Amino acid sequence: MIDEKVINEFSQIVGARGLLNENLDLFTYSYDASFLPLLPAAKPDLVLKPQSTQEVAAIMKLAHKYRIPVVARGLGTGRTGGSVPAEGGLVLCLDEMNQILELDDQNLMLTVEPGVKTQDIYQFCAERGLFYPPDPSSLKQSTIGGNIAENAGGPRAVKYGVTGDYVMGLEVVLADGSVLQTGGKMIKNVTGYDLTRLFVGSEGTLGIITRAILRLIPMPKIRRTAQALFDSLDGACAAVSRSIKSGAIPAAAELMDQISIEAVAKFRNIELDPRVKAGVIFEFDGDSEAGLDAQIGEAERLCAECGSVQFRIAKTKEEEDELWSLRRGMSSAIAALAANRIAEDISVPRAALPEIVKRLREIAARYGLQLAVFGHAGDGNLHPSLLADLNAPGEKEKVEQAVGEIFQAALAVGGTLSGEHGIGLTKKDYLADALGETGMAAIRSIKKALDPAGILNPGKIF
Amino acid sequence: MCVNKTEKMSLAKIQAIVNQCDRCGACLTVCPVYDVAHREAAVARGRLATVRAMAEGGLTPDSKMAEAFEFCLLCKACTENCPSKVKTDEAMIEARQYMAVKLGRRAKHRLLAGFLGNNVLIKLAAGTLKLSKKTGLGGLLRCVVPLEHTKAGYREMAAGPAAFPALSNIPHPERPHPGKIAYFQGCAMKMFFPAAAQATVKLLSRTAEVTIPESACCGMPHLAHGMADQAQALAKKNIEAFADADRIITDCASCGSSLKEYGHRLAADPQWAARAQEFSSKVMGLSEYLYDVGYQPKQKNALRVTYHDPCHLVRGQGIKKQPRDLLQRAAEYVEMPRADKCCGGAGTFYLDFPEASRKILSEKVKNIESTDADVVVTECPACLMQLAKGEQQSGRFKAMHISQVL
Repeated sequence: MIDEKVINEFSQIVGARGLLNENLDLFTYSYDASFLPLLPAAKPDLVLKPQSTQEVAAIMKLAHKYRIPVVARGLGTGRTGGSVPAEGGLVLCLDEMNQILELDDQNLMLTVEPGVKTQDIYQFCAERGLFYPPDPSSLKQSTIGGNIAENAGGPRAVKYGVTGDYVMGLEVVLADGSVLQTGGKMIKNVTGYDLTRLFVGSEGTLGIITRAILRLIPMPKIRRTAQALFDSLDGACAAVSRSIKSGAIPAAAELMDQISIEAVAKFRNIELDPRVKAGVIFEFDGDSEAGLDAQIGEAERLCAECGSVQFRIAKTKEEEDELWSLRRGMSSAIAALAANRIAEDISVPRAALPEIVKRLREIAARYGLQLAVFGHAGDGNLHPSLLADLNAPGEKEKVEQAVGEIFQAALAVGGTLSGEHGIGLTKKDYLADALGETGMAAIRSIKKALDPAGILNPGKIF
Repeated sequence: MCVNKTEKMSLAKIQAIVNQCDRCGACLTVCPVYDVAHREAAVARGRLATVRAMAEGGLTPDSKMAEAFEFCLLCKACTENCPSKVKTDEAMIEARQYMAVKLGRRAKHRLLAGFLGNNVLIKLAAGTLKLSKKTGLGGLLRCVVPLEHTKAGYREMAAGPAAFPALSNIPHPERPHPGKIAYFQGCAMKMFFPAAAQATVKLLSRTAEVTIPESACCGMPHLAHGMADQAQALAKKNIEAFADADRIITDCASCGSSLKEYGHRLAADPQWAARAQEFSSKVMGLSEYLYDVGYQPKQKNALRVTYHDPCHLVRGQGIKKQPRDLLQRAAEYVEMPRADKCCGGAGTFYLDFPEASRKILSEKVKNIESTDADVVVTECPACLMQLAKGEQQSGRFKAMHISQVL
C-alpha cells in the first residue's frame, strides 16, 4: 500500500487525469499477454500515466525516495510477464507518450517517444519511402518502448535483424530520477561503454526508456512472397540455409511443421497433399524485377533439391495475403486444437534447427503431449507450442517439466531460452542454466550499479 | 436455490467466451471507446479479464464493474480484429445480465425497457414527438428529438441544374418479389423517424405487396441491459405477429441483427425453437433486400453521398456491399475513411456516457467532412440520431436514412 500523502505527491506530478487507483483499474493493469494466470492478480498500488520525460523523472525521484517498485508498461502485449507488477508498487504506463518527434531525412534517423505503436512507426516511414524493418507479430498493438526493452524481433530478422539493430540512441530515466542520454545519430561510436546496447533488452530493470533514436533504411521497391511445401522438415530447414548461403537471402523465411500446417488446413478446410511434412513461407525483396526473379529462381531450385513438393509464387496482392494469412492464422489455428497452448520462444543456431526439432518431438512424445512447431527458420528462432488442458489432473506438472526439458534441449544444441520475448517472470528459473555462475554475477553487478535500491521492475529476469 | 442455478449457468456461458481471450491486445487498436478513454478497463481485453476474474472469484461484483461492462458500444470491432474472434459483445450482454441479477438494474434502464415493451406508450410517444415537430417544439426538445429530413427535402437538394434527367432507359422491375413481405417497424423508426419509415414503405411497395403487422420491440435494449426474460417474451410476440409473412424487412440495423438472432436466442425453448429459427431465416435488412431483388432507383442525381456502416449491419449481419451498390445507382457515391467505425450512438450509450459518445462522434464528423459529401446516409435510426447531432455540429452535411435517398 502506498500512503495517501505519497499518492498526493504523485498526483501533483501527473494530475488527476494521469493517475488511476480504483480497484478495477488496478486489476486491469495486473496482467500482460503472457500465459501467467490472471489470479491471484498481481495488482499495482497505483497506475501513473506520465506525458513527458520531466514527469517520469519526477516520478522516479519520488519512487526512489520512498522505495516504491516501478514497472514500466506500454500496452501490455509482452509474452513473459515483463510488465506485470509482481511486487506491487507503481505501474508507469507510457502509452500517452506517443509522439513521433523528428524525422531526420538527411541521416535517416527517427526520434520517437516510447508509447508510439510499432505499426505507426512502420507506416509513417513507409509513406515516405523509408523502412523500419523490425516486425514482431504484435507490431500493430505493441509499443516501441516495449519492443526496445524486450529487444523484440520478427520474421524479417533473417535479413534485417531485430529491434536492437535499429536503436542508435536512448534517453533513459534512471532509478534515482536522473536522465541519461546514450548514443546518437552517428554510425560509429566507441566513446565509453555501449550503454544503448545495455538498455536494449533490459526489460525495465535498469531504467525507463523515454525517447529513442531509430535508424531507418530505404524501403525496398518490390516484394514477393512464395510458399514451399516439403516432404521432410530437414529438407525445409536445409533449403532455407542453402538459400541464405547462395546470396538469395529471404526477407523472411517462416517454418511450419506438419502439425502446424495441418492445424491451419483444418481450421480453413483446405485439402493438403499427404506428402507434406513441412512448409516455408518466403518473402523476398529488392529493387528490380530482374533481381527478384533471380533470387526466387535460385530459391526455387534449391527447394527442389531439398525435396519440395510444391513451390508457389504469389502473383497478386490477394495471393500474397492468402499465403501470409496461413502463417498469421497459425497461432489461432493451433490454439483451437486444445484448451491451452503453451508457446515458447527458444532460439538456436540456424544449422541446429533439424536437431532441435527432433529433440522437441522426443520430449513431447515422452510426456504424451501434442506439440506444434513453427517459427522463424531463417534465424533459428522457434515457437514450440505444447497443447494441453491445464485443468486436467497432472497436466500442468507435465507441461512444466516438458517446458524445462525444451529449454535444456535448446541450450544443449548451442541455443538459448528466448529469441524475442524476453525472460520476464516466466523463464527466470532457467536463467542460471543459460548464463552460468559468472554470467549471473555479471548481470547482478550491473543491476546493482544502476538500481542499488532494487526498485526497477523487481523480480524480473533473475 | 433456483437463482443460484441460473447464476451458475450464466457464469458458465460467460466463461466459455472469455476464456478464449489470450490477452494479445489486438482489440486495443480498434476499440472506439478505448480510443477516447485510454484505460485498460475500457477495452475488450480489460472487460474480458474483469469478467473472468469475477467468474473465478478474484473480483467481487460492484457498481464500477457493472459500469465497465456498460461502457461498451457492443460494436463488435474487437471481434472482427481478434485472432480468436472472441465475442466480447455477447460476453458483455451476458455479464450485464449477471450484474443486473446480482446488483439490480439501473432505474433509467428499467424505465426504458418497460417503455419499449409497451406498444401503447410507444404510439403515444410517436404522436407527441410528431406534434412537437409540427409545432416547432422539436428545436427545444432537440436533446431527445433528432432532426429528421424528408424524401421531399432530399429531392429538393438534388434538383436544380446539377440534377441528371430521369434514367428512363433503366427498366424498372414491377414488383419483382412475388411473396408477401412484411415491414418490421422498430421503436426508434416509429418514434423518431416516421418520415423515413414512410419512405421505406414506399420503396418496399414498389417491389412487392407489403403488410405492416403490429410489431413489438425487437428486444435488443432489454438484452443489452440485463433483461433477457423480457427480450424473450417480446421475441415470441413478434414471431406470432409475423407468422404469415414470406419475408420480414426492417430498416433498422439493430432490429435486424436482433431479429436474426431469435433462432439462436430461443434455441433452448423446445416450444419456440423451430418457429424462431424460421422467423429469423425470413429477416432481411432493407438494403440487403433491395439489392437482392435488383432494385433500381428511378433516377440518379449529382448529389455527393457517403455512407456510415451501422455496427449491427456491417459486423452484426455482414452487410457492407449492398447499401454502397444501391447508393452508387442513386447518386455520386464517395467512401469516407473508417466508414465502419462506430458513431458512438449505440442504443443508450450516448445517454449513459455522453462525454465519450461526443468524442467518438467528433471523429466520425471529421471523417464525413473529409469527403465533402452533401449527405451522409445510414441504415439505422440509432446511428441516424447520432449523425443528426453531428450534422448540427458541423453544418456541412445532412444525415439521412437510406430509404430517403434511394
